[in-house]
Formats: sequence, structure tokens, C-alpha cells
Amino acid sequence: MVYIGAETIQSPLGWTITDHFEKLQSGISGITFAEREGWNQSDVYLSKITALPGTGKLNTLFRTAIDQLAAGIDPGLLHSDQTICVISSAKGDLDADLNHPFQALLKELVTAYQLKHAPVVISNACVSGVMAINYAAALLASGKYAHAIVLGGEVISQFVLYGFQALFAVGDRPCRPFDRSRNGVTLGEGSAGVVLSREASVFKEKPLQYLGGASSNDANHISGPSRTGEGLYRSVSKTLQRANVKPEAIGYISAHGTGTVFNDEMEAIAFNRLGLEGTPVNSLKGYWGHTLGAAGVMEVALAMQSLRKELLVASMGYSEPGTTQSLTVLTSNQPLTSPLFLKTASGFGGCNASLIIRKI
Amino acid sequence: MTGDKVIVNDQTVWEASPETGLTGLYKELGLEYPKFYKMDQLSQAAFLAVELLLQAAPALKESADDGVALLFANAESSSATDARFRKSYEEDRLPSPSLFVYTLPNIALGEIAIRNKWYGEHMFGFFPNFTPDFYMATSEIMLQQGSEAVIGGWLNVRDQRDVLVFVLWAAPQEGAVRLTEATLNNLMHID
Repeated sequence: MVYIGAETIQSPLGWTITDHFEKLQSGISGITFAEREGWNQSDVYLSKITALPGTGKLNTLFRTAIDQLAAGIDPGLLHSDQTICVISSAKGDLDADLNHPFQALLKELVTAYQLKHAPVVISNACVSGVMAINYAAALLASGKYAHAIVLGGEVISQFVLYGFQALFAVGDRPCRPFDRSRNGVTLGEGSAGVVLSREASVFKEKPLQYLGGASSNDANHISGPSRTGEGLYRSVSKTLQRANVKPEAIGYISAHGTGTVFNDEMEAIAFNRLGLEGTPVNSLKGYWGHTLGAAGVMEVALAMQSLRKELLVASMGYSEPGTTQSLTVLTSNQPLTSPLFLKTASGFGGCNASLIIRKI
Repeated sequence: MTGDKVIVNDQTVWEASPETGLTGLYKELGLEYPKFYKMDQLSQAAFLAVELLLQAAPALKESADDGVALLFANAESSSATDARFRKSYEEDRLPSPSLFVYTLPNIALGEIAIRNKWYGEHMFGFFPNFTPDFYMATSEIMLQQGSEAVIGGWLNVRDQRDVLVFVLWAAPQEGAVRLTEATLNNLMHID
């Protein structure tokens, strides 16, 4: 059995998981107007951490995430030779060193926290976070390690912002996932961490249980979502099978929901094919934007809080149905009815990943 | 692929000339896949390496459409194309969308999946150096979870081509050897 707990999130909304759950529950978003920060001095919206300087921001975020999660576990676990650290980031610190975006970070983490094994970096676009948790869980299940620390982190860069703008993928207002008026992503930055272990006793607060996960490729297009949601459909089908869970047992879907027309439409098609159209679903990107490689870990951490507190938060930015197939998007905070959630993610390269976690 | 040499099972099958680069190999293989010309260097190298692998291990083509897992890693992420994209907005003052879409290393996995209609598990990792343990531990998991075969890949193209692909099978196969750290290091010519 693989347990998961000690979740933490860092974003413009705060430094702790409690900050985040309270703010989301109150409908507060970290997205703000960023005057002339876009390409050619265009105005954009960003979920940007202004409390930290740009230089060294990513390392500070990762260190904050570790310090936060370390408070929730047996303190010896960080330096145990039974512990592996899995890091998820799409772009690393590319502003510091384009050719070596992860090296300085890895070196600092190994030294600062006396990690016994070199961390594994998963860099698989926007599914990196979900994939990193799945990978960590599989390493534990295989018996190779007893514990895993999964960290996700991403910072906003001109590089990524200008790229998304060049693709006309950035919305003119804060992102509105699944809404009729949605027209693009809002970029965000942040970090998050979770701890997985084969032993429930390492957690100070009662952990949740990781049930299973999978990934699947659309085999369709490198930058456009599949019209049929094939990869996401297959990823979730395998996840349900591995977790030995029926679709109707899922109490909540934490979707990817970027707020682009095509992504959200693709997800609606896949969820309908899976018979999940009646399951409460939200996207958390209206609260902290799209944080790429960090998104999966941040969103899993928040969904874990939803299980613990038995409260699902409204999907920020959503008011009117905007996909050809219907979904049950959360328009207000709702009590949780079944103690299992499904987390999904999809990204460039046609990648999709998903996982299921339950309350025990 | 080591520098200009392309080697399959210890036989040099191609030597790229500086003029034609990998496009020469593409033509030599007689492939008709115009998307190849749109790919960045990383994806072109991965694409051709897997084409050669499929010729050497045709049994892969018999796998179910989600039976082949892709397990790739490198030490340079997508930095060769990242530099070109950065130049497009810093110097040319026009951020290029066609370069931007290749500024993620896992795009190469997407290209392979599209070419072969493979819907299976896939993962792209980053390591400062070739790490046999990553392939050993992860392929064991992927095979145990139901993949029929895993294509492992080490994919660097920025300074000079340093590309290795290999197939890991769940069951013994003709011409295959037992997977150990030494076997993998041997493939990489690391003593």
C-alpha cells in the first residue's frame, strides 16, 4: 500500500497549504494584471510571486516546499537511503542557464538536504507533476525505495510567456476554464510537494492512499489536443483499472482545464466517453494560473486537502457551459460525496497522465 | 548516433556529412514522412533512431497499440531549440511559434508516438549523465504494469550527437541479452 501526505503549495496566494485552502475556499485568486509584461509591451494577466526576486526564485520555491513538507513527516526521512526525490519541472531555471536548466537546482537540493540519492527529474511538459507522483508511487510499489518526496516547481519567464503568446494561447483576461467565453491560458508560477511512503507512520497527520495512475499519448499532434480525447481517455481508463475503481466511485475530478478552447473541449469529450460527465469537476488554474510542470503537484496537493476537509472548491472563472459535451463544473463550493478523486493532466507532445487518491 | 556516425548493433550504417546531416540519413532510408522536415534536431534524431531500431527489431511492430512504452532522458533538455527560440524574440524580434512548440524534450516522444500510432506509457527524464539505473528500475515497472516492450533512449544533440536507443523486452528475445547495468554501460561504451 502506498500512502501520500504532507502536501504543501507555494504561489502568490501564500507559502502553506492552509493559506491556499482558505483562499480558494473564499474565492481569492493570485492572478493579477501585469501591465506591459507581455511581448511587445502588451498587457497580460499573470499569477506572479512578487514577494521573491526573479534570480534564484525557483530554488527558493523548491526549498520552501521541502521545508514545509518536512514539518509534516518523520524528520529522518529526508536523509534516509530509503528515500528518493522526484522533481517535476518543464523548464527549470532557464533564465539562469539555458543549457543547464536543472543542474544548479539539483546540486543545491542534494547539498542542502543531504539527499542520499541523486533526484530524478521528470520533464514531460504539463503532465510532469502527475507523472512524477505516479513514478514515485511505482518505485515504492516495486520495492526499490520506501519513501519518496515529490516536488514540482516552475517560474514565469519571458521565454514561456512570449512562446504562448506567439501561439495565440494566452487569454485577454484571467483564464476561465470550461467557460463559454474562455480564450486562453494565464501563466502562473509556484511550487508544491507531497510525500509518498509505504509506511503510514512517517506522517504526522493521517495520510491518504494512492490507488493508481497511468500515462498515455494521443499519437495525434505535438501541440494540439486530440479531437477525440483519445490519450486522456486511455490514461484514465488504465488508471481506473490499476486502481480497481469504477467511474461512479469517483467523487471529484481535478481536471487540467487550461482555459484554451481546444484543451477544455478535449477534456469534456474524454470525460463523457468515460461516463464521468456527472462527476463534480473543477480546474484550479483560475486561482494560480497554469504552472506547467508544477501544475500537477500543486493541483494534487489541493485536491488532497479537499478530501481531508470534505469540501470541493468552485471552479474559478467558470459561469456558463462552454463545451459541446456537458460536464458538472463546480460553480460553488460543494461538500464531497465520495472520498476518491481523479486528477488528470494533458500537455504538449500529446501527453496525458492521471491518478486516483482516496481518503482512508 | 555518436558524432557523425550512425551505428546499429555495432555496425556503422551511415556517416553523416556536415552538409546533409540527418536529412541525408532520412533520404537514405527512403522514408516518406514530410513531417520530418518540420522537426527540430532532437526530434529528428529520436525519430530516425527509432526507425532504425524498428528495422533491427521488427517484432516491435507486432505490439499492441499501447504495448510499446517510451522511456527517454537526456542531459540537455531541449536547450538546442530553446536557444533558437530565444534568438527569435531577442534578436529577430519575432517569437517563432514553430520553434516554441519544440522547446520541450518530450515533444520527441510525441513525434515517435504519432509516427507509429503508439498510445502507450511514456516518460522523459533529465540526468546530468547517462544513468543505467533509471532505465532498469523504470522499465521493470513499465513491463510489470503491462507494457510489452520499452524503448529506452538517451538523446543529446546540442554539442554533438550522442544518441542511444535500445529495446527492453519483458521476455527473452533472439539477439537480446540480459539487462544489467554493465550491458547498458557497454551500449554507451562506458567502461
